[in-house]
Amino acid sequence: MADTQFDVIVVGGGPGGYVAAIRASQLGLKAAVIEREHLGGICLNWGCIPTKALLRSSEVSHILHNLDAYGFSAKDISYDLAKVVQRSRKIAKQLSGGVAHLLKKNKVTVVDGHGKLAGTQGGLRKVDVSKDGKPVGSYTAKHVILATGARARTLPGLEPDGKTIVTYREAMVPETMPKSLLVIGSGAIGMEFASFHHDMGCAVTVIEVVDRILPAEDEEISAFAHKQFAKQGMTIKTGVKVAKLEKGGKGARATIEVAGKSETIEVEKVILAVGIVGNVEDIGLEGTKVKVEKTHVVINEWMETGEPGVYAIGDLAGPPWLAHKASHEGVICVERIAGVKGLHPLDVRKIPGCTYCRPQIASVGLSEAKAKAAGYDIRVGRFPFVGNGKAIALGESEGMVKTVFDKKTGELLGAHMIGAEVTELIQGYGVAMTLETTEAELMHAVFPHPTLSEMMHESVLDAYGRAIHF
Amino acid sequence: MFASPLAKRMAEQAGLDLGSLKGSGPNGRVVKADIEAAVSGGARKPAAAPAAAAPVAAPTPTLGAAPSADVPGMPAYEEFPNSNMRKVIAKRLTESKQFAPHFYLTIDCEIDELLKVRKELNAKGDDYKLSVNDLVIRATALALKRVPAANASWTEKAIRVYKQVDISVAVAIDEGLITPVIRDAGSKGLKQISAEMKDLATRARERKLKPEEFQGGTFSISNLGMFGIKDFAAVINPPQGAILAVGAGEQRAVVKDGALAIATVMSCTLSVDHRVVDGAIGAEFLAAFKKLVEDPLTMLL
Repeated sequence: MADTQFDVIVVGGGPGGYVAAIRASQLGLKAAVIEREHLGGICLNWGCIPTKALLRSSEVSHILHNLDAYGFSAKDISYDLAKVVQRSRKIAKQLSGGVAHLLKKNKVTVVDGHGKLAGTQGGLRKVDVSKDGKPVGSYTAKHVILATGARARTLPGLEPDGKTIVTYREAMVPETMPKSLLVIGSGAIGMEFASFHHDMGCAVTVIEVVDRILPAEDEEISAFAHKQFAKQGMTIKTGVKVAKLEKGGKGARATIEVAGKSETIEVEKVILAVGIVGNVEDIGLEGTKVKVEKTHVVINEWMETGEPGVYAIGDLAGPPWLAHKASHEGVICVERIAGVKGLHPLDVRKIPGCTYCRPQIASVGLSEAKAKAAGYDIRVGRFPFVGNGKAIALGESEGMVKTVFDKKTGELLGAHMIGAEVTELIQGYGVAMTLETTEAELMHAVFPHPTLSEMMHESVLDAYGRAIHF
Repeated sequence: MFASPLAKRMAEQAGLDLGSLKGSGPNGRVVKADIEAAVSGGARKPAAAPAAAAPVAAPTPTLGAAPSADVPGMPAYEEFPNSNMRKVIAKRLTESKQFAPHFYLTIDCEIDELLKVRKELNAKGDDYKLSVNDLVIRATALALKRVPAANASWTEKAIRVYKQVDISVAVAIDEGLITPVIRDAGSKGLKQISAEMKDLATRARERKLKPEEFQGGTFSISNLGMFGIKDFAAVINPPQGAILAVGAGEQRAVVKDGALAIATVMSCTLSVDHRVVDGAIGAEFLAAFKKLVEDPLTMLL
């Protein structure tokens, strides 16, 4: 029988859980991860990574259909969807194998099964593990980190059937490309699937309940994105309530209400992207002091729950629903357990968010409206892609880099970008914010020419009325 | 200085000495949170009035903008780094002298009667002991009520005449000085003023005053009588419009009805911000003050 007693047991092997376990091991703690399905979690297997693979295919499709702009011509452009999906699955599998290797290298024990809190034993926390409903073992540790993640939210009347009406999970492995698609919800997940399908030749309609798409982003960015998608030929409707969603006709029929009027949308397929709910069920929270609010575990700044020795991280513990947030929480949680000195709680404001639709969207910090609402007297800088040489050379002249500064101190409060490759640029501002630079250092920094990053410089300059190239 | 650029700028704006702060960032780096903690937690506990009322729109003077002390031929020295309080005093008083055009009015008050009344009052109870300064505070407050134009501040748009007399009293402490405030001194009796002053001064020396207890104030009193100073001129505590400098009561030869006589005389000098208060108003205030001090029974009313 293998070891059953650990310093730290992590329930869930996603980007929160496996990172926490590796960090624990680095700090000399004996760690185990209990994972019921795939190491790497949703992110790696059914989320972040496989969608990026799909979106790379749709980007290629987009380029192929616009070859003329680059001096090429081609006939009979077609794709094999099975191969596109296969590529995505292969990448996910490769990375999941990579996680297994990393855990092994770091001497983390991996337990295959479903973990559940089961009281205490000899002053230690006990976790029971089952596989396919049958018990496979009990493990104990002083500290248990819950990292069970989340799943797609479904709403009454908006239930998926897994074929015509689906969530991200089925949408990741389509067998055929529908001629028409309705995406309900315009957050990151919704817009990425919308963009993928659109660029693969499907007629896409996106509906959003609030008055703008990508509601978590800066309002100006939302408006810019809306315009871009509309220009591409996507149908976008905001301020929409779904009255009815049923199967029938070509596939599914949605009855929606816009501005008091009723409309019917008929499509082959529907993707539901209306948020997520935490996986709080069947993990042994009953009878503990772990508090659950709106399907998520309540934690303090050190990821502690109300139950001593039980912690929660990642999607399970609340927004923002981001893999990098989960990983970071895992690291802080474990370092706290190990007694590492000089720790700081995670500053939510400095977590960047990226959406990989075309055009890409990336942001960090406060939006203009939120900065104002927080009482800041602000300066705002903007720089358009059309003013940047590299962007034009790439054939990507639609986009914008926006920065928000505190007028008084010069603190960079937020940065908001839309356009090609901005997801790779945003971390420049992320580092700047973490190092607490002001506009002065950002102005002093030398940005290489010709790069898209020059727009980051120009946006800062513009906030102070000094932009050179626009 | 190992501090983030933002922390450096915020410290400069708040008049904080970065060197005196403990950094909570990686390897002791001073970060924004440390400045915020210092500003709200009272590391900046100066003889200060709230900045909100500060009338100055011009650039703030830099600390220690004095000519460099690094001139050849100076003897060996030891350096005592400026505390935050020192820096705030330097900043505010430099500001005061640069922007508030001071002028000075001196008046002599005979205080034999006041000393007699004080002695009699102190003999009547065990639970209080009035000081000359307590009586001066009371007289000042009453005089300001009679001449409210002297209880005022300059702002760019208007002169603010306060509807209440809040008297800041300078208290010397180890690191500098601080000015706890007797709120609404005009409507408080001697016994209450005395008790409050004693409590504020004690806690000021222990550095236990809350910000609201030393911020604000509409008029200041600085009394160096106990050190034997005959007469001096104080620097106005901005954004206030005036400060009364109180000297020692001492026996002097005075002329009364054409004959030499001996009286206990206390010289008081009012420093006035001429933007706010003109000479005549200053004189009117001092006359009212003198009348109360020399006829102390009237201040018991």
